[in-house]
Amino acid sequence: MNESTKKYSRELAEHFFRTEYGKIVPVITRYVGVNNVETAEDIIQETLLKAVDNWQQKGIPENPEAWLYTTAKNIALNILKRKKHQKKYQLAETSNIVALEHLQFSNEIILDEQLKMMFTCCHPSISENSQIALILKILCGFSISEIANAFFTTTETINKRLVRGRRQLRENKVSFEIPKRIDEHVVIVQKTIYLLFNEGYSPTQKNELIRFDFCLEAIRLAKILVVNKSIKEKTDCYALLALMQFNASRFKARMNTDNSIINMERQDRSKWNKDLINSGTQYLNQAMRGNQISKYLILATISANHCIAKSFSDTNWLAILLLYDNLLELEDSPTVRLNRAVALSKAKGNKEAIVELENLERNSDIGEHPMFHAVLAEFFKEENEISKTIIHFKKAIALTQNKRDLKLLEKKLMAVVPIS
Amino acid sequence: MKEFMLFIRSEENPKANLSPEQLQQHIEKVGSFIKRLVDEGRMKSAQPLEMEGRILSYKNGKIVDGPYNETKEVISGYYHLLAKDLEEAIEITKGDPRFEEGIWRVEIRPIKKVEGIN
Repeated sequence: MNESTKKYSRELAEHFFRTEYGKIVPVITRYVGVNNVETAEDIIQETLLKAVDNWQQKGIPENPEAWLYTTAKNIALNILKRKKHQKKYQLAETSNIVALEHLQFSNEIILDEQLKMMFTCCHPSISENSQIALILKILCGFSISEIANAFFTTTETINKRLVRGRRQLRENKVSFEIPKRIDEHVVIVQKTIYLLFNEGYSPTQKNELIRFDFCLEAIRLAKILVVNKSIKEKTDCYALLALMQFNASRFKARMNTDNSIINMERQDRSKWNKDLINSGTQYLNQAMRGNQISKYLILATISANHCIAKSFSDTNWLAILLLYDNLLELEDSPTVRLNRAVALSKAKGNKEAIVELENLERNSDIGEHPMFHAVLAEFFKEENEISKTIIHFKKAIALTQNKRDLKLLEKKLMAVVPIS
Repeated sequence: MKEFMLFIRSEENPKANLSPEQLQQHIEKVGSFIKRLVDEGRMKSAQPLEMEGRILSYKNGKIVDGPYNETKEVISGYYHLLAKDLEEAIEITKGDPRFEEGIWRVEIRPIKKVEGIN
């Protein structure tokens, strides 16, 4: 096997184990209790280690998943039987042990328990940071150091978030079930999933492989929401899923080999993933059944308009502009207006967009954001108003805190400074 | 340490691919649907989807980042990305599993170490 095949195989193996971890932990948690979710995590860790050991010696079993499930179940049963007298396992009474003995893993059970785990991890009593950490660790099976790496922080920090999250679950006596006011809780889960997606999609992450995995994980979790029967109002579930798939479809084309991003204008659209676009479209259609709109739906449709355009210039900017107008009805914020301005510039010309942004600067604090000035600078540049271009690139530079962005902005500035 | 070779198969049937015209049609349909609801005043109350910097709240002062493609991607390379080349991985299997959604069945086989060959 050559080097890259080896590496790819290893990645696939890790991916497989990670996915199974995320499936089995919720199921076992149901039997050991939410208070002991760490125990469930340990059980599955042990299971996976046993698998690696056993499979290396004896080869891969015919049904690797079943092997894992059986092993995890047996380890869990041993612990429950041994420790049922301990206070913290009091919840795991005999009935639980019997139930666990009879447990047959099935797709449906796995999906159900994962759904409960999502609600648990996203319980409102838990801070947002901890919610994401818990989801990444428990449902997505990432290791603490992988998570720390992705967030540019230390393993201690991530560990603290996990510990705090688990403690909050205990203190608030969160139970492992579908919440009664499910619609409220679904909103939080959706938000967390979307944060996770954006974390993976964000261009500031160090490790590109993990990053796209985050996106795929977010999509996978959103699908769990979509297929389950407990959630009645699914419009946003479909819309969120569509949005993420549309965005993810362009992922590969955004990346340059030299650590830079390729802007949409220059992306090779043949690299856009058609399956994701198709799938997104189908979910988008389903989202219409609810006769309701939300930000997710509008954003998804905007993203879709980009995805179906043959080229940058063929993009239906007017449609996108109208969608932003619709979005403004939901939320009139500087951020929305800023992004709308880009569509406006393409649909109706830079001059109108410039006016809009200058108004925006007067009426909000958007002038403190580097992005605002970068966008405005580009508009002025296209209008050949060089002095104003320079002013705004300089402001963007002064406001930016990110080294990479800084370098890029300085490059852009140099490109317009007249040679004297 | 033995080597493993993995085969990943998708268990789902491939979705029928929509043609560009069909895609166009569908997206336009959604656009008008949205417009109609807005005109009828049927906006749902806002989701707690905070756009103003909460998305990257654990990073310093990154405010405007978010789901908007316009500022993220339209503006010439404003954000940088650390990327590795996935091309080699893709060439190895047909249909890169990273880009497929769906249910996986993973077959993992150990590679026999044979004297003189590997």
